[in-house]
Amino acid sequence: MIYIIDHKDSFTHNVVHQFSNFDDVQCDDYNQVNQTLLNKANVIVLSPGPGNPKDYPITSNIYNHYKGKIKIIGICLGFQQILYCEKGRIIQQNKIYHGYQSNIKVISNNSLFKKGKNFRVGRYHSLKLKEPFRAKNFEITMRCVETNVAMTIENNIDKIYGFQFHPESFLTINGNLLIKKILST
Amino acid sequence: MNKKNYLEEISRLKKPFIIYKSIKGFNLYTDFSKKIVLTNKNIKDFVKKINLTKFKIKQTDLFIGFFGYEILNNLIGIKIKKQRSLNFPKGIFYKPETIIKLSNNLNYKPKRSIKYNKFFKINLNKKSYSDIFAKFKKKIRSGETYQIKICTKYKNNSKIDPLDFFCRLSKTNLAPEAFMIKDKNYSIVSCSPENLINKRGLKITTKPIAGTLKKNKKINKKKALSFFQKNIKETKEHNMIVDMERSDLSKICIPGSVKILKKKIVEEYKDLYHYVSLIGGIIKKNIKTIDIIKAMMPGGSVIGCPKISTLNLLNNQERENRNIYTGSFGYIKFNGDMKFNIIIRSLLNYKNNSEIAVASGVVVDSNPTNEFNENFIKAKAIIDLFQ
Repeated sequence: MIYIIDHKDSFTHNVVHQFSNFDDVQCDDYNQVNQTLLNKANVIVLSPGPGNPKDYPITSNIYNHYKGKIKIIGICLGFQQILYCEKGRIIQQNKIYHGYQSNIKVISNNSLFKKGKNFRVGRYHSLKLKEPFRAKNFEITMRCVETNVAMTIENNIDKIYGFQFHPESFLTINGNLLIKKILST
Repeated sequence: MNKKNYLEEISRLKKPFIIYKSIKGFNLYTDFSKKIVLTNKNIKDFVKKINLTKFKIKQTDLFIGFFGYEILNNLIGIKIKKQRSLNFPKGIFYKPETIIKLSNNLNYKPKRSIKYNKFFKINLNKKSYSDIFAKFKKKIRSGETYQIKICTKYKNNSKIDPLDFFCRLSKTNLAPEAFMIKDKNYSIVSCSPENLINKRGLKITTKPIAGTLKKNKKINKKKALSFFQKNIKETKEHNMIVDMERSDLSKICIPGSVKILKKKIVEEYKDLYHYVSLIGGIIKKNIKTIDIIKAMMPGGSVIGCPKISTLNLLNNQERENRNIYTGSFGYIKFNGDMKFNIIIRSLLNYKNNSEIAVASGVVVDSNPTNEFNENFIKAKAIIDLFQ
């Protein structure tokens, strides 16, 4: 079962439907998480949402508690939440991407995806990761072709994956493929 | 009663009635056997009790009316601080016993010609508008909202003949979700173009509008489409609304069934072009009418995104009750089928106070002067009725 933690976003149920392609999904608000069900989950998904990761200490606690025990996937705010918990800094960017379609590229040999491969993806984010960023076993694996902003992180040891873009958006081509690959590893 | 002079007749009889756009013309609903004024206490019970039967129903087996903005907020757990208010009801629904089909060509001449007060006061001047605009832009930069719609109201004191207004409006602007309500102490006249819920059986669609272009002689429909496609700001706004409506539908629909049926097309109206999409899905078993209302309302395209955090920002900012504005008007049939619009491009006249509310969006690259002016374009078709 996949447990999606919702940060009261208006895109979360697209995420629910996308993950429902692959397994049973349970989705609850971040402040109404069912601990018993969460313990039974194979995957935890941190949803997109408004604001900054530091506004959601409950989610940070969940991440820190389950890191390394259950596969964790973060989308947009969820991606930033992972980075924030790994001592990354989340900052405002000059150009803001809301409803924007971008080309991104796999830049690492250690990615689940082939180095050099391009994806066309939908973005909704005001904030971004401040670089350089270093954390044990984490690697930035995709970047925006145009601006070089970090678009995915992968930690294949602890099975933690994050997307700055929205794989569930209609603007993302082949979003299901990205999710399928991460779920099946 | 003779159909031809039915409108004159119903106006003379002074009984409450509602007119709502149908596919071929208009339907007139009257002889109301029940009138339910909604409160936070009775709304859930009211909606639950409508869904009575799966059997064949009569044409009049429905409740028609509106949900105001405030009650829709309360329904999804959002509280609104005390605001200036006309104390207008939060929602009213009627059970009609008579439905009359009318053509698109509504003819009605008021008995006495009324001189309308054509002077309006605006509740937000350009300076205050720009200040709020700047404040919300900061909220976009910090990620609390991705898009937010500032509401302004045009108001005056005036007696109106709502049927005269509605017939004139429908001549110049035959909007697909137009409606009017005339009751004893209030009336609503609307040329809403936007459908929020169209549900038949288990099929549901929504048709958000995001993107407005003022008409002039040089721009035809094809050019309007190319304008929207090339305009990055309009495209981004629209994309956001499409993803938000997909998500709202996904709350109540079977996984995999939510599809974009028409992607980014242009529709033409009297003064403007709109950029529109149609999204549909198949409703899950065990979903009740109230779940559909809570998932879809208030309609996201006129609020902003993400809905909850944006509603909270709006409600902390706005000093004046929105009343009907960005609520929804429509009907729920006894078999669960329903149709609802978003109440925009509308006039509320309550105890001889008229108000027209409009809103336009703040996204990161919009500018206050354009949006302030866009508000006026949106209100103009209705303000012109007072001439």
